[in-house]
Formats: sequence, C-alpha cells, structure tokens
Amino acid sequence: MGRILIVDDTMFMRTLLKNILFSGGHDIVGEAADGAEALARYQELKPDLVTMDVVMPKMNGIEALKAIKAADPAAKVIMCTAVGQEQMVKLAVKSGARGYIVKPFQAPKVLEEVKNVLSA
Amino acid sequence: MFDEEGYRKLFVEESRENHENIVNNLLALETGDDQQAAIDEIFRSAHTLKGMSASMGFDAMEHLCHSMEDVFSLIRSGRREATVSLTDLLLNCTDAIEEMLDAIEAGGAPSDEQSASLVLELQAFAEEEEGGEHEPSPGAAPPAEIPAEPAEDADGRPLYTLTVAIDPSSTMKDVRAMLLLQNLEELGTIHSTTPARELLEDGKFDGPFEILIESEAGEDALRTIASGTELSLLALSTPQSLLDAPPVIPPAACEETQKPEPAPEPQAPRPAKAEKSREIKNIRVDIQRLDQMMNLVEDLVINRGRLEQIAKKHGIKEFDEALSMVGRSVSDLQNLMMGIRMMPLERIFNRLPRVVRDVANHDGKEVEFTIEGGETELDRSMMDGLSDPLLHLIRNGVNHGIETPEIRKASGKHPKGLLRLSARRDKDNVVIEIEDDGAGIDHEKLRKKGVERGLMTPEAAANATKDELVGLLFEPGFSTAETITDISGRGVGLDVVKKTIESLKGTIKVETEVGRGTMFELVLPPTMAIIDVMMVHINGMRCAIPISNVVEVAQTRPEAIHRIGNTEAILLRDQTLPMHRLEDMFGRAEKSNTLVVLQNDGRRCCIVVDTVDGQQEVVVKPLSNIAGNCRGISGITIPGDGDVVPVLDVNTMI
Repeated sequence: MGRILIVDDTMFMRTLLKNILFSGGHDIVGEAADGAEALARYQELKPDLVTMDVVMPKMNGIEALKAIKAADPAAKVIMCTAVGQEQMVKLAVKSGARGYIVKPFQAPKVLEEVKNVLSA
Repeated sequence: MFDEEGYRKLFVEESRENHENIVNNLLALETGDDQQAAIDEIFRSAHTLKGMSASMGFDAMEHLCHSMEDVFSLIRSGRREATVSLTDLLLNCTDAIEEMLDAIEAGGAPSDEQSASLVLELQAFAEEEEGGEHEPSPGAAPPAEIPAEPAEDADGRPLYTLTVAIDPSSTMKDVRAMLLLQNLEELGTIHSTTPARELLEDGKFDGPFEILIESEAGEDALRTIASGTELSLLALSTPQSLLDAPPVIPPAACEETQKPEPAPEPQAPRPAKAEKSREIKNIRVDIQRLDQMMNLVEDLVINRGRLEQIAKKHGIKEFDEALSMVGRSVSDLQNLMMGIRMMPLERIFNRLPRVVRDVANHDGKEVEFTIEGGETELDRSMMDGLSDPLLHLIRNGVNHGIETPEIRKASGKHPKGLLRLSARRDKDNVVIEIEDDGAGIDHEKLRKKGVERGLMTPEAAANATKDELVGLLFEPGFSTAETITDISGRGVGLDVVKKTIESLKGTIKVETEVGRGTMFELVLPPTMAIIDVMMVHINGMRCAIPISNVVEVAQTRPEAIHRIGNTEAILLRDQTLPMHRLEDMFGRAEKSNTLVVLQNDGRRCCIVVDTVDGQQEVVVKPLSNIAGNCRGISGITIPGDGDVVPVLDVNTMI
C-alpha cells in the first residue's frame, strides 16, 4: 500500500478521495489545495503517489505535474479529471502522468488505478 | 469516518464559496477590469461545482454547471463574447444553483424544474456560435514529440505482438490507450499499432487493437502493463525478431541470456525524515460547538470573579498568586475564543454587489459600488443579525438615494452614481458606513411628512432640529418615497433596521444633505457576550453600566442642580446635562453627590449613584423569556459573588 499525497482545491473532493484511498488501505500522508502547495508538499513528503486535480487556482494540475516531474522524474502522478477534459489529460500524460481517474469517482476504479500505478 | 451528512455539509459550504466566486466574477466581467482572470475564475468554479455535484449525485446541478462550463469554455477561447444578456442568463443560473444549495442544505435533493430550461438556454447559446467554426479545443496543446528510441540496436531484441481491449465502461478510452502506449514505451520500442497510433490516441477505434513492440523487459513486464486499469490483454504473441532471419528466442530464455535492464529508474532510498506527518493548517468546526465553548468560557469568567471575591475575604498570599495565574489564563482563553468566533465582514459584503446590480438594472440607474474594509472582523453572532439591515440599507441607497442618469446629468453630476460601503475598526467598535452621492433627503419634506403621518405636532415640527427630523426616518410607518417599490418597500422600514441594530447593541445614525447624498453609519460592538462594565450602587442596589457608555464620574454640590419643569438638570463644565435619579427603577433613598455622566450616540445625561465600585469584565446574559423585555435593562450579569446584577441600557435613557 502506498503513501499518497492528495491535491485538489476543494476539501470536499479531498475528503472523498481520502476516504476511498483509506478504505483501500493506503496511507494519506498529505493534502494540498493548489499546484504550488503540491510541489512543496511533494518535496517535503516524497510520497509514493500523487493524485492531482487538473483545474485549480494559482498553479493548475498540469503545471504542478511538470514541476513535480522536473524535481523528481520518477514521481508517480495520477490525474483527477472529468469527462470533457480529454485534451488536458492527454497533455498531462505527455508530461509524465502515470494514470488518471474520472470524477465522479468510483471507488473500485480509483483503487484499481492507484494499485496499478503503484505496482508498475 | 465520514458520513453522508458530513459530506453534505462540506459540499454545501464549498459549493457556496464557488457559487459566490462565480457571481462576483460575473459582475467583475461587466465592470471589465480584468476580464480574462474573471473568465478563468468562473470556468474554474463552474468546473469544481460540476465535479462536486456529480460526486454527490445531484444530477440537475451537475448538468447546469456543465452547461455553464461549456459556455465559458467558448468565451475563454475567444469564440464568444460575454454579453449583457448572457450575463443575465448566467446570473439566473447562479440563482438556480443557490436555490439548489438551499434545498440540499435543508436535507433535500434539488429539483431540476428550473435548471432544465436554463440548460437548454445555455446549450442553445453555445450551439448558435458553433456553426462553421473549426474545432481547436481550448486546452489542446501541440502534440509533443515523443522521443523514439534509436532503431539501430533493434536487431536481436525480441518482438511481441500485444492484442489489447479497453473496457467499454472506460470514460476516456483515448487517454487510456495513450497511457498504455506511453507505459509500454518505457519497456521498449513500439514499431506499429493497428489501428494507427494517431487513431488510437484520438479514440477513433472500436474493439481490440494490436501493438507491435520490441522489448527486452520480458513477457511478465509487458503483461503487467497491458493488464492495467480498464485494460485486458487478449493475446501476447511469442516473440519474433524484427529481421526475418534470426532465430526465435523464447521469452524465458531471453530473460536468462540477456540481462534485462531494469525498466524504471532505480528508486533512491527515501530519506527517513520524510515520515514527518502532515500538519493540518485549518479545521472546520461546527458553530454550535463554538457556542458551547463560549458558554464554558463565560462560566469560567463568572467563577473567576467569584474566586477573586473569596480570595479577597481570606487574604492567603499563595492562593492569590495561583488565582492571578488562573485569571490570566482565563483572560487569554477568552480572547482566543472571541478571536476564533470572529469572521471577516466579507462574508456578508460579498453578496451585495449582486444586489446593487439587480436594483440598479431594475430602476434603470447606473451605480458604481465600492466596498472597503471587508477584512474587518465581527463575532459571527453579530454577522447573522447584520445581514438583513445591510441588505436593506444597500437597496435603499440605490433605490431612494441615487438618481437616474438623466436627473444626475441635469444636476451636473456624473451619470454614474457612487455607492460606498466601508467598514473599519474604531477603538472597541466596528463602524460600517453606507454612503451614496444621490439626492439626499430634504429636511422640509421630512417636516411635512412628520406632521402628515401624525408623528409630530405642527408646532413640534416647526421647531424640530435637523437631527430630530432625520430621526423620523427611523419611526415606524414613515417612508419618504412616494410609492412603495418592490425593491426596498417590502414592508420593512428603517424602523426595523434600527431595531435590529439596537438588538445587536449597536447604533445607527444618518447624515444627509440635499443634492449631495446620504450616509448611514452603524456602530457595533465587535462581540456581544463579554463587556467591560462599571459597577455602581444606586440607591443601595447594585447595577452595571457598560463602560462604553460612561464618560466620567463627577462630584457635585446640591446647589448646582436646577429644576427645569419636571426634570432636573445640572451644569457641568459649561454643559447642561439632564439628570436622572432612577428612583422608579431602584427605589428612593438618601441623596448622594456622586454623578456618572453617560453618553450614547453623542448625547449625554447623568445619573446619581451612591458609590462607584470599580470596573469589571462581565458576561451579559439576556433576560429570559419569562421576564420579558424590561425597559432600561439590557440584560443581567453575575459578577462572581453569586449576585444577579442588572446591566443598564443607556440607549433607552437618553
């Protein structure tokens, strides 16, 4: 099971995701509410995995992903996205995202993707 | 863990923040300061709302937010202008969202009656512009070059053909395919795919597809990647070589003979200090718990006072020391508690720009609305009560204060009226001003109206000062507007505003000048529960006076007291002050020469007291429903010795 950093600008989504991941036996080591905070938390916590919201204030998810990848090329980041954001997710994948989960989250899918990315 | 109710609360709270953000940025869009930033913010908030409502299963809200997001995506990419009619439509949408949030907060589910038609309108709007335009997606970036591995050392490495299917339930099969290809590329070189890679990455495929990959990572590694999320590996062909000639190397052998290179970079051992647990910066606390805590702190304050009395009686040094430590902690705790309960006024100010816009549009007026000092803090119990009066005064300012552009032009003013809302901390009080540069209120008109409404006798009206005339505005049943409008004339008058402000222990004052405008000034204590009082004895009974009302304590001689009609007055420092003995409240007793000068709202009077006992911080408890309202008394306090002491309501005395 992995040590996970959750990045989303709403506490609602963070809580939702936290509870799903927690139920899968993962350890939520940190949360961040925007891209800049995500980068700082990543460097401080060195989590096994980051779940990254795409649309966020200040620094969006793609920029944060790039910054994290620049700091640690081995970083495993999965994007939290929604239908209609395919182009953004593709951009994220090209920037090094390892996976994606789609809102509204379905717990089994989220856990499957997290497990697969962690074990890859 | 987290239950349904917990999610709902969090959902409503954060949705309201996003809703407010949309409204304010829609308004910012109209004033045109930083349009791009406003559009980005609206898009982001609509998107966030959509995601949250989808997660809660509130479909109607999700659809509405989705449509708003679509429209803003068009505006963001410059394919559509934000027009006034669009802003109106979007504001209607935000109204619908607010109603839904209200319904959700009340425990129900939002209905889609209203939202369905709004969604249709939004869609019609989005489509009417779509025609003929080409399709660059706003978020699309130029396809990045995918670095191809050099082909020259290809010979000899095993080739595999993977047949993979993507789960039909996948929401983004194109992205899934892209991820698969990208992950596979970390293990080797992809030579071809069927259908072509571009088609796969655009989602233009149905059913399974084939990938020809050259890799030394071994069958298991490929198998792992190709059976990831939403993927099923239908077939993995035996490896062949790229060139026809070389012998087929079975994957197992391949693993043994050729040292497999570890595909992912070796992971550096993590520093141990990374285990540091995450710090929580903010928590959300149910307001009821804060109220309970505040009650406990109040009890502590009361009992501290009691302990102090006991200590005084016994005079034990050690006890005094310990008590003074406890006393300090209690004070700190109390300050902290009050600090926690404070909220910035922005919380209610933020709703007002929308109100101004609506009223101005309705009345055909142009108004520039400015807000200053939104960061000024007030106790949340005050906040609830303040919302309605503010709303009323703001509506009033636009509706009755500011003139139409034509009239303004005719009187040499800028066609756009100014409405200013400001808040600031002034010593122990919070001062809120609502000022317009409109027509002002005509004192002669007030004089006439006052008589017409039977609020003044013609003689009194003829002699009334400006302040007295303006005071009429706050009398029940007084309205200077010729017709009652549906904007500010909702049966609520300034008298109700005044009552509400007074129930918050605040004061309201108005200054007006014909042709120049009107200003309402509200002065409020930042918190209601704990105040500084002066303890006095009046005719042998104890009584507390809020220190904010006390000007000074003076000694006087009986000959300085003059009778004026039924009342007594005293000349003090060249000022004639009415003097009250409060005998009907506290009973008749010995004559005393000690006076306390009181003030409220700039007016003064003095009362006679026997002794002044000192200053103390006390908790004011409201009178119970059983006792009812008691004129002259704003509440009671228990100063520590168990006595129940009334707190004087100076406001009603002057």
